Amino acid sequence: MNDEAIRVGVFVCNCGSNIAGVVNVPEVTEYAGTLPDVALADEGRWSCSSDYIEKMKELIHEHALNRVVIASCTPRTHEPLFKRAVREAGLNPYLLEFVSIREQVSWVHMNQPEIATQKAKDLIKMGVAKARLLEEGEEIRLPVHTECLVLGGGMAGMTTALHVADQGFHVIIVEREARLGGLLNRISGIRTDQRPYDPQELVKAKADAVDAHPCISVYTHTQLQAVEGYIGNFKVTLLANGDEQTVNVSTVIVATGMRERAPIGIYEEIDDPRVITQLALEERLLQQDLGEVQDVVFINCVGSRNASRGCCNIGCGIAVKNALAVKTLNPEATVTVLHRDLSLVKEEKKDLKAAMDQEIRFLRFSEDRYPVITRADGGLEVSTRDIILDRDFEIHPDLIVLTTGFEGDKSVEQTKGLLKLSANQDGFFQEAHVKLGPLDFASDGIHLCGCARSPKSLRETLDEATGAAMRASIPMKKGYVEAEGIVADIDLTDCKRCGLCAKMCPYNAIELDDEKAPQVIKALCKGCGLCAADCPTESITIVHYSDPQIFAQIEAALEENPEQKIVAFVCHWCALGGVDMAGVSRLQYPANARLIRVMCSARVSIKMIQHAFELGAAGVLVAGCEFPTCHYIEGNYAAEKRLKRTRKRLAKAGYDPDRLWNVWCSAADGPKFARTMRDMVKNLELDRESF
Amino acid sequence: MSDSILIIGGGIAGINAALNAADYGCHVYLMDDTPSIGGMMARLDKTFPTNDCSICIEAPKMYEVDNHPNIEILTNTELRKVKKTDQGFNVKLVQKARFIDPEKCTGCGACIEACPVSIPDEMDGKIGGTRKLVYLPFPQAIPNIVAIDPDCRYGNMREQGACVGGCVVDCSQCRECPIALCVKACIEEGKDAVRLWQSNKNLKLNVRAIIVAAGLMSYEPEPGMFGYGDCQNVITNLEFERLMNAGGPTNGEIIRPSDQRHVKRIAWVQCVGRGNKEGLLPYCSKVCCMIAAKQMIISKEHDPSVETLIFYNNLKAYGKDFWAFHQKAKSLGVRYINTRPWDVFEDPETRNLKIPYVNPETGQYVEEEVDLVVLSTGLIPSDRNPRLAKSLAIEQDHLGFFKEQDPLLAPLESGVDGVYFCGGSLGPLDISESVAQAAAASMKAVLRMKDGS
Repeated sequence: MNDEAIRVGVFVCNCGSNIAGVVNVPEVTEYAGTLPDVALADEGRWSCSSDYIEKMKELIHEHALNRVVIASCTPRTHEPLFKRAVREAGLNPYLLEFVSIREQVSWVHMNQPEIATQKAKDLIKMGVAKARLLEEGEEIRLPVHTECLVLGGGMAGMTTALHVADQGFHVIIVEREARLGGLLNRISGIRTDQRPYDPQELVKAKADAVDAHPCISVYTHTQLQAVEGYIGNFKVTLLANGDEQTVNVSTVIVATGMRERAPIGIYEEIDDPRVITQLALEERLLQQDLGEVQDVVFINCVGSRNASRGCCNIGCGIAVKNALAVKTLNPEATVTVLHRDLSLVKEEKKDLKAAMDQEIRFLRFSEDRYPVITRADGGLEVSTRDIILDRDFEIHPDLIVLTTGFEGDKSVEQTKGLLKLSANQDGFFQEAHVKLGPLDFASDGIHLCGCARSPKSLRETLDEATGAAMRASIPMKKGYVEAEGIVADIDLTDCKRCGLCAKMCPYNAIELDDEKAPQVIKALCKGCGLCAADCPTESITIVHYSDPQIFAQIEAALEENPEQKIVAFVCHWCALGGVDMAGVSRLQYPANARLIRVMCSARVSIKMIQHAFELGAAGVLVAGCEFPTCHYIEGNYAAEKRLKRTRKRLAKAGYDPDRLWNVWCSAADGPKFARTMRDMVKNLELDRESF
Repeated sequence: MSDSILIIGGGIAGINAALNAADYGCHVYLMDDTPSIGGMMARLDKTFPTNDCSICIEAPKMYEVDNHPNIEILTNTELRKVKKTDQGFNVKLVQKARFIDPEKCTGCGACIEACPVSIPDEMDGKIGGTRKLVYLPFPQAIPNIVAIDPDCRYGNMREQGACVGGCVVDCSQCRECPIALCVKACIEEGKDAVRLWQSNKNLKLNVRAIIVAAGLMSYEPEPGMFGYGDCQNVITNLEFERLMNAGGPTNGEIIRPSDQRHVKRIAWVQCVGRGNKEGLLPYCSKVCCMIAAKQMIISKEHDPSVETLIFYNNLKAYGKDFWAFHQKAKSLGVRYINTRPWDVFEDPETRNLKIPYVNPETGQYVEEEVDLVVLSTGLIPSDRNPRLAKSLAIEQDHLGFFKEQDPLLAPLESGVDGVYFCGGSLGPLDISESVAQAAAASMKAVLRMKDGS
């Protein structure tokens, strides 16, 4: 295909009157026909209709087109449709370039038909300039087999393992302790809104199912020692009683749970067997032995809900449940719960009512006045002020139970290092996205569930464990992971082996080999372009968004009247969403900008921006997702940092750095994009009419 | 297809369940009884605790659903009858007429412009949002196809100025409509996609499993509750969310309904509708404290000089990073007052609102005056639940949510083998919990395919 002459087909949609009502489509189509390498320019009434798609396919054949530019609505909604059409016509879908002349032109410059027509021509010229340089891309597949490693043999680990194994996939559970069950082994009782349960029975039933399952191997007394590789190809070294063993797995599920925290900051110095934590109490309740205890005080939120630590999520429920358990075991005992806000969910309210019926006392203290524990004459004294009754209380308990909250398992530091994950200061793992990717990590093939993510009830743990099994099973069932063809490609000729790309890649998709040469694992690359834009030797390119392609767009945009034009680099996900929203809402703004779509604002290099200024651009805009949203985790943060450096570089090179603008714009915020356009044109003192 | 899954509800839970099952290789029918998928999340401004823009993160998922070869979207569709078979279920559905040929409509909006009648929008009506009788539910709607209000088609909107309905000729006999402006506009655009003679369509499916993701609804305060309904400037948290949204009826300007003035003092009242009396909610909805924190933070981002105060009871900050989010609101100067106000009164001249309460620290009676009151109302079971329960022969609990077989031994499973739950079907929860449950429910559903597929 390389030797073949380039034959570009330009299909200009008039979208009924939606485009043609403003833009002179016949004139634009005729113009498109005069552009270099354009073999055909055709006007379509409704390009997305099945009739026209068929016609398009015929025209592609008839005119032996090998590049296609579609000028119509927006790639965010219609690119997949036209990609399919191009593929059905026998062309590689990456040979399509999408130009938006409805959302970016006719809908937003409704009262300026001539200027709109000129802008449509420019955008198509830019599209053709890029299309001439387009190369075939391919979806990249990486084989994934059916072995899954589950870290942690608690309820989360066992539940997730059973679901994976039920599909016939092989699961290895790695458990540090001697037996399965984790934290639940030490819990005395548990209840839901339907009924109470015996945790030991729950553990036993689950562990029996695991033991009996032909597809699950359990490695107890075992720890993770080393990990190499990526999805489909993890080489994991396990350490059991001093013996190393290597296993190959395709996916990993992290279910390492949590542990109870010792009191921090407050009550930390008290060393008294009568002052214990909830978990120590659970163990005594399990043995049904509280001794002669007659007066028990619970203190909630110990070391929680303050400036450095959050809510432990389940402490209030545990305190109420255990207060009731104490009362059941020692009915004569006086029980008091000292609490702040009582954070209880549906079923726990019943416990609260039962506790109140049993005359368990609830006193609320203020967050800046915790109860004071003193020891005098061998006895314990707790003094507190109830903020509802506005009264002081002095209690002389023989047992004090502290609700201290939780932190991630002690293995977290090591696990996150080996698997290249991150965790927060409390040792809870950081998921791919707190809302939409709770069970995933940024790296493909590694998943997360249960209390390793954050403290939660058994009920929620079971949901997450089952869900994580699904997330890990999808590639195992398909047999592969697939990446779009928009990926990084490294030319090692000039590469200085600095390793910056590998360090910065948010998806761990770049590996350094033994000689420190970077290799892209293409199936893991999401194509954001962060590495390419920051590579000091410009050794990285992004398929479909290469430097030459983007430079060709910049040059085409600035061929005429550059002094009145703004080159706007716009990220595909949110900022272009904002552009489209401005269009749908028919917000009118000046037509000076020529948009260049990039997948992420992090793709925009200093050189690109400087090149636009060298060609005389009046201004440059970089538009990305509004913080903290980013489709590529934190590409916009990287872009923002780079913009600072760019401004310095521009100043050095003699360009006015104030002519470089940025906007972080959500997909809902059409008004913000339109406002930015108006502000830029006003500030840069551009002519809104005469180009 | 017998190796299919039917997912009832196209909100974020249904969308995630669908994508998981479809990526796994199953054929999925994703059904919603409204004209678009997206659910509640598509209408939210931001999501806590990160303040991600809601539609920015949901829309890519919606496009993914739309383009997924294994997913068939059935909007405007209701469940009618379900019959259990050895292999799964025979399901009868009815797809309500949207009076549009989905193959021809491109969502261009020419008909919307032509339509002469605006009515209050279902979601934004109380804060000034309107829509035409032919409409796109929201700009990012999937499918990107307009719908015509059945009331218009059946002639019930004549008094409001609708053009359709007065004709005595059967539409199916006359294709050259001289009356309906939407028909005319569409023909002028060269599309002819309006189908006023379209009738409801009955569909029959064979599926192996069913996932109920019917979602939640926002509690509607009784008239007079904290001034709601009586005072124009008392709105619910969902209405306020739409007010903040750049895609909402005010383009994101936080202005109050009575005089479209930018607000300077806003008060939130938490736990509205909580209580043990008949008609009130005897449970905590979990997320309202964080919704309020988010709305206060965003209000301050819109205008740092805005004063915000909140009357709360037990502050719930149960999820990951929720507490830090609450701390952020506090650090921005939000006043947290731990009490329940007596009531809300309107100043008839200024339309400002007076909130009397007892200061919990001093015990003294005080009054706050604000421009706008936001009532944090809880989340209630969907009103679809009773009908779904009947059709599917599954149980509801005493609150109206669905009842699981056993929360720990068979979570997300209904009493009927092969029917699973996720999302708001089981009770109030946040988006991340919905997403996790959706993955879990899809796991359970695809495991039923194991032998057959």
